[in-house]
Amino acid sequence: MNSNVPILKVTDLKVSINEIEILKDLNLEIFEGQIHAIMGPNGSGKSTLSKIIAGHPSYEIKGGDILFQGNSIMELEPDERSHLGIFLAFQYPIEVPGVSNEDFLRLAYNAKLKAENKDEIDPISFLMLINEKLKIVEMNPSFLSRNVNEGFSGGEKKRNEILQMALLDSQLCILDETDSGLDIDALRIISNGINKIMTKEKGIILITHYKRLLDYIKPDYIHVMQDGKIIKTGDFNLADELETKGYEWLRN
Amino acid sequence: MALTNNYQQADTGSKMVHIGQDTSSQIISKGISAGNSKNSYRGLISISNKAFGARNYSQCDSLLIGNRSNANTFPVLNVQNSTAKIEHEASTSKIGEEQIFYFLQRGIALEDAISLIISGFCRDVFTELPLEFSAEAERLLSLKLEGSVG
Repeated sequence: MNSNVPILKVTDLKVSINEIEILKDLNLEIFEGQIHAIMGPNGSGKSTLSKIIAGHPSYEIKGGDILFQGNSIMELEPDERSHLGIFLAFQYPIEVPGVSNEDFLRLAYNAKLKAENKDEIDPISFLMLINEKLKIVEMNPSFLSRNVNEGFSGGEKKRNEILQMALLDSQLCILDETDSGLDIDALRIISNGINKIMTKEKGIILITHYKRLLDYIKPDYIHVMQDGKIIKTGDFNLADELETKGYEWLRN
Repeated sequence: MALTNNYQQADTGSKMVHIGQDTSSQIISKGISAGNSKNSYRGLISISNKAFGARNYSQCDSLLIGNRSNANTFPVLNVQNSTAKIEHEASTSKIGEEQIFYFLQRGIALEDAISLIISGFCRDVFTELPLEFSAEAERLLSLKLEGSVG
């Protein structure tokens, strides 16, 4: 693959919901092997950006384009985008009563194989595969027989997201506040998991409020979002500066 | 189990009459409403004055698909014996846009997502049915719901 073509390129993206403008001329480029962190105050449009890239239907796109590996994905459905290799770890993972985690994961994995014109995997081989992946997030196999996210603690839900990320092995992973609500041990396990999954062909966007995640997963760039725009881009040191000065100093 | 779609209205239910001593019964009702439909469940549990130690457990779960469907539950308990134990549980859940989006994001197609959610919802009932019948029931459900979410 040509590494001069960015995995993700967002150009002049304008998005609104119920006539309220959320993103205003947003630009972002992510190349292979890069980790980008997006920080910014609540309501600045970070989660919206992640949902738009994944293809959430509630938003109205007023202008701009999103290119994945050089091709526009604006017209694609969320499941088609997923098959291309876009993964979104949800800020609030959804509970699905009555559906076992194992069935859900296998269905997702088989859907991906099918999209790539490969044969579906049988349940026994899948169990072996998923047991390997469970080690990445240090999860107990009993997770598989529980219903998807039902009755999971906050940390277990987030771990389950990373498990799915490991399983689907997508090229672009967007993590929407995956570190929020985690205790210190869970944060370490999840960060280690993400570092294990990351390769030089992949790209990761980390949406976070806290510098402590960035201590574990070192980003190449840090972007600060404010009022639907990226107002500052810097390297790792920007996080320190933000930590001490807050977002206020960027406003002026 | 009751399923309604489009502009259908269903008014279904069950009655359980306890006459003898130490009798027990269980009712599990699952109602699914899609499209613009209305689904109502009526339950009557009647315990006669001779039915000492009678037990009943009723569970009534409704699943709404989309924003225009409707579900109602009307339970009636008629108990004339103070030694009887009666339980009633009801729940309503909804397949919403966010839940669907979660499945789609993981690459699972819309129809597969809905049928997975529905068979999960009906699992308590399906596991009680003979295998051939439960497989048939699952297939019928997904057939009936084709194109109901959009």
